[in-house]
Amino acid sequence: MKFLTTTLLFIPLLTVTAIPVRADSAHMSGKQIMEEVYRRHEQFPYIYEEQVMVLIDAAGNRDTRKLRRYSRLDSADNGRYLLLFDDPPEVRGVGLLTTIQHPDSIQAGIYLPAFGDKLIESIGQNESESFLGTDFSVYDLLPEPLEKYHFQRQPDNMIDEVNYFIIDIYKLNNAQRESTPPYKRHYIRQDNYYITRTDTFDRHGRIYKRQTHHDLKPLGGQMWRANMMLMENMKTSHQTLIKIERRVFSRDYVPESLFTLQWLIDNQHMSDEEETAENDKDTAASADAVSLTLGRL
Amino acid sequence: MFKRLLLTGLEYQLTTISVLLIITVITAMGLNRLSIDTGLDSLIPANDPMRLVYERISDEFGTDNRTIIYIRDTNLWTPQKLEALEKLHHELGKLDYVTRVDDLFSLHTIRGEDGKVDSRPLMPEAPATLELAQQIRQDALDNPLIVDNFISVDATVTAIIVSIREARNDNDFNFRVNNDLNNLVAGIQPLFDEVVQVGSPRINTELKTSLAADFKLLGPLSAFILVLSIVVFLRSTTAALIPIITSALSIIWTFGLMGWLGLPVNILSVMLPSLIIVIGSTEDTHLIASYFHSMTKTESSASSRERRRIASRMMMNHMGLPLVLTISTTLLGFASNIFNSIGLIQDFAISSTMAILFNGLITLLLVPILLERFGPLKNSIYQQDGHMSGVASLVSSAFSFSQSRFPRMILVITGVLCVFFIYAASKLHVTNDPLSYFPEHRPLIQDAKLIHQDLSGIKLFFITLETDREKSFQHPRNIQKLADIQKFIRKQGAFDRSISLADHLAFVNREFRQGEEKLDLPESRELVSQFLLFFHRSDLESYISHDMSKANIIVRHNIHDSHTLNRYVEELRQAIPAIVGNEMKASIVSENLMVNQAAESLMIAQVKSLVILLFVIFLIMSAMYTSFKGGVISLVPAVIPIVLMFGTMGLLDIPLNPGTAMVAVIAIGIAIDGTIHLLSRYNELCRRTDNYIEAVSITVHEESTPLVTASLSLAFGFGILLLSNFTVVAQFGALAAATMLFSIYANLLITPLIMTHVRLVGLHQILAISVDKVVLENSPLFADMSNYQRRKAILISELNEFDAGEKLIVQDTSGRNMYLLLSGEVDVIRHNPDEDLHLATLKPGQVFGEIGFIKETHRTADVQARTDVSVLRFDYDKLKKDLKLFPNIIAKLNFNISCILGERLADVVESMGHANKQEK
Repeated sequence: MKFLTTTLLFIPLLTVTAIPVRADSAHMSGKQIMEEVYRRHEQFPYIYEEQVMVLIDAAGNRDTRKLRRYSRLDSADNGRYLLLFDDPPEVRGVGLLTTIQHPDSIQAGIYLPAFGDKLIESIGQNESESFLGTDFSVYDLLPEPLEKYHFQRQPDNMIDEVNYFIIDIYKLNNAQRESTPPYKRHYIRQDNYYITRTDTFDRHGRIYKRQTHHDLKPLGGQMWRANMMLMENMKTSHQTLIKIERRVFSRDYVPESLFTLQWLIDNQHMSDEEETAENDKDTAASADAVSLTLGRL
Repeated sequence: MFKRLLLTGLEYQLTTISVLLIITVITAMGLNRLSIDTGLDSLIPANDPMRLVYERISDEFGTDNRTIIYIRDTNLWTPQKLEALEKLHHELGKLDYVTRVDDLFSLHTIRGEDGKVDSRPLMPEAPATLELAQQIRQDALDNPLIVDNFISVDATVTAIIVSIREARNDNDFNFRVNNDLNNLVAGIQPLFDEVVQVGSPRINTELKTSLAADFKLLGPLSAFILVLSIVVFLRSTTAALIPIITSALSIIWTFGLMGWLGLPVNILSVMLPSLIIVIGSTEDTHLIASYFHSMTKTESSASSRERRRIASRMMMNHMGLPLVLTISTTLLGFASNIFNSIGLIQDFAISSTMAILFNGLITLLLVPILLERFGPLKNSIYQQDGHMSGVASLVSSAFSFSQSRFPRMILVITGVLCVFFIYAASKLHVTNDPLSYFPEHRPLIQDAKLIHQDLSGIKLFFITLETDREKSFQHPRNIQKLADIQKFIRKQGAFDRSISLADHLAFVNREFRQGEEKLDLPESRELVSQFLLFFHRSDLESYISHDMSKANIIVRHNIHDSHTLNRYVEELRQAIPAIVGNEMKASIVSENLMVNQAAESLMIAQVKSLVILLFVIFLIMSAMYTSFKGGVISLVPAVIPIVLMFGTMGLLDIPLNPGTAMVAVIAIGIAIDGTIHLLSRYNELCRRTDNYIEAVSITVHEESTPLVTASLSLAFGFGILLLSNFTVVAQFGALAAATMLFSIYANLLITPLIMTHVRLVGLHQILAISVDKVVLENSPLFADMSNYQRRKAILISELNEFDAGEKLIVQDTSGRNMYLLLSGEVDVIRHNPDEDLHLATLKPGQVFGEIGFIKETHRTADVQARTDVSVLRFDYDKLKKDLKLFPNIIAKLNFNISCILGERLADVVESMGHANKQEK
């Protein structure tokens, strides 16, 4: 569960500034390109987001959830994150409270209003584990720490008239990386150094997940962000789409008191019946919007 | 007309052979269009209303076409072995028809420990260390959704469940899938103690390969047995070749036309070559035996060609009609299943009916030609005096002896036997399960048992609850209903395992409430929904519909007996409404279940077929013997073997299945053939003698050789089917063989006993009789009778011929015969002491001897043939006995005799008046 928080935390990390392609890009190594990607990234310390998550199964059935995400970075390495379910009504108030102390310490607590006024610690994480019925795992969205991975640049490629850097990522402790498939492969737009596609491979070299970013918007002139992310699980033919409906960069929206059990208990019924109805309407509208968008992807 | 039709083959030999050859060539061209059908679809009635429900439910919750790969190893949980399994998992996933691979690598688990919850894949990839492997083993053992479903309780066995999307129009699909699975399994086999795979593709493939093996084995073996038995019984190699020729042509015609019509070969029609050879040969045997018998009546001085010509024509005259009748009844036996709703049986019924029809046609047309051209001149079964020799004669002598010495005892024993066997038959049960088609020792069955021994059975069905409201199954009270149904299933104790949404939620609940062993359901709708966040849709898609308006319980079992399965399912079906109430609709479905439930239709269909067949045969025989009582009597020897057969099934616990279900109707069709031959011959003999017992004895002597030969050949031929790879076919063969032996008993012991008590008149005899119509119409004996009634009455009499000067009646002797003069003239002469008085000269149509017929008295005059005469002789006692079956005719005859006597009396009175006048 804690991966959810971490995942959502890093959504903004994938937003990069649009800077003209460096003249020497042809000679850049994989690592240098990734440094450039990260250099262009700048995370805001206080973010409030309203999201719509759509889960699509192999038969085309869709489940839509509405969420709020609060993130607060206390320092460069420490952050607190809260993911709160608003819809459907029966899961309203479910919260996932995560504290990250970079680089390794991640603590997550789950709050299920129907289970009682307690925060249940969630343990265990795995690169292939996805959370809350989605197809995302935290590792799908985390920027790979440069010191832990080997970045192998592959020949550039042009897809749909856009030039891409292709970077294969290997775990640093993989001694046989010459003979084994990469862990991931990033497709990075050369015009803005934005990662628009990431393929995750299994040990046998097969793509089992593909993450793509859509609805790119410039932010603050040079910075870009994706308002929509799609993760496709090739194994289960399941897809998860996250659409960010609203994003606010403001300290006022993410006060410290939010990240406590008491706040979760006190605020589990934040919406009245009317708001619920409104939410339902919004959710349906969002789902339709998502459908249309997916149709164009 | 009819006889001319029968002689068509002989009369137009070249044309006949040309037509037969042309048809053979045309039909042979259809052979390469033949297809094989071993799909389960043909086992399900086409009109089964559950089909649509099943399709809808399998669309919603996934296919029930699942193959289980069973892997056993004492050291299963090592990195190396788990790595091999992971590789297999991925290889399976690559197959384009595989929709899902459920195994240790796809399972999700939740674990509650020390106040923390860990929700994760059980084993996303093979562990790198032994310690980690052991940890995964423990996690799996702690998960009640995994134990017994994916791993055995001691964790030495694991299962990979492969869901397969069937390609219905691809004939080789199952073969391809089975081949792929076998190759993958073979790849990991050396690493593990035991690896097997069982599922629809394997079952289907084995059905197909066994079918091909049966095809190669049974036909030639039946042909060999046929030749052997004919050589032994008829002692003629030429005679043995004839059935082979007719069978070969019939097989080509049948399978060729099946190819043209798109009728597939199925596990039942694999028997067709054997059946054609065996059943078809019985007609040939009767014809050849008749040919041999006719040969004894030909002049030995005549040329070989002439003798063959005469013998073959006599044979057709003698055997033609019984042959047509027997072919028709056999045809009816096979055709009675044409309207069966089970495709497998219906297809077989159509193809076997065609086979019998073709064989009959070819036999009637070709055998006389072959015998006239190449028929043996010498025979070893009939001596020159017409008596038999050989093995069959020994059998018939034994029956003759018993039948003449202990008639009552035989009837009593038969009666007791029938009662006992009817009681035994009451224990009959039905089954239609595809796995029951294979013998127990077969690896497939052993593998299925192996899986069942360590895990839940390979068969499954769905119990689906449907509501009309979305999210209904978020409510604990509805989820509780699933749990209650599962509780009932556990109480039944018949099924291995059931899994539903309730199990998943109870498990999460337990893990969240750490330390509690009990598997309780979450108590609120909100908690249900919140727990469900911990599952992926793929974890639950087999158990709950997307909108949560429908829920599914998967029940796994290993019941191969339809009767048992249907009983438990019915029990469940009746219990569910009380559990779920009126607001939910419950369905219990699976392809396997529909196949098994078709067993009930099978039983009903067979009873229907049997009744219809008996009724049709009754009608035919009643018509043929112009009496309903005759119809009933004809059925007795056919019904006895069937009673004995059903009793044997009950005693030996042989189920009624698609194979055995057909034995009764087919056997009736065949067994009645013997009865028809016996009755026909007996009728002929009765025309020439008033000694019925002797007629019966002669009939049995003459007919027993072909009858015993045919029945034993049939028994051997059917017995060959015991070598089939299919239990259903072997059981069919064994029972049909036993029924053929029972039919010898019934035909040679019971039929003769019945025959001695009745005299039946054949319709063909009535139609074929050639007596001067004017004579009959003018005869006072037949006054006011229809032509049909006259003919029938004539056949009850005996046709006698006398030369000129011979005495038909001798004065002062006693006798109760009455005569109708058909041709020639007779003188009535009274011998007085002083002179012979010529009383009258009678002409055709006139009756004499009527006084002795009415009352036993001394004859008052001689009746002597003036010319060569032919007369019909009516014996009082015989007529009295025979006409019990024909009351209308006897009433008219009695009335006419009264009129004749009245006229005689009037004549006498008038004569006396004249005499008195003259005296005065």
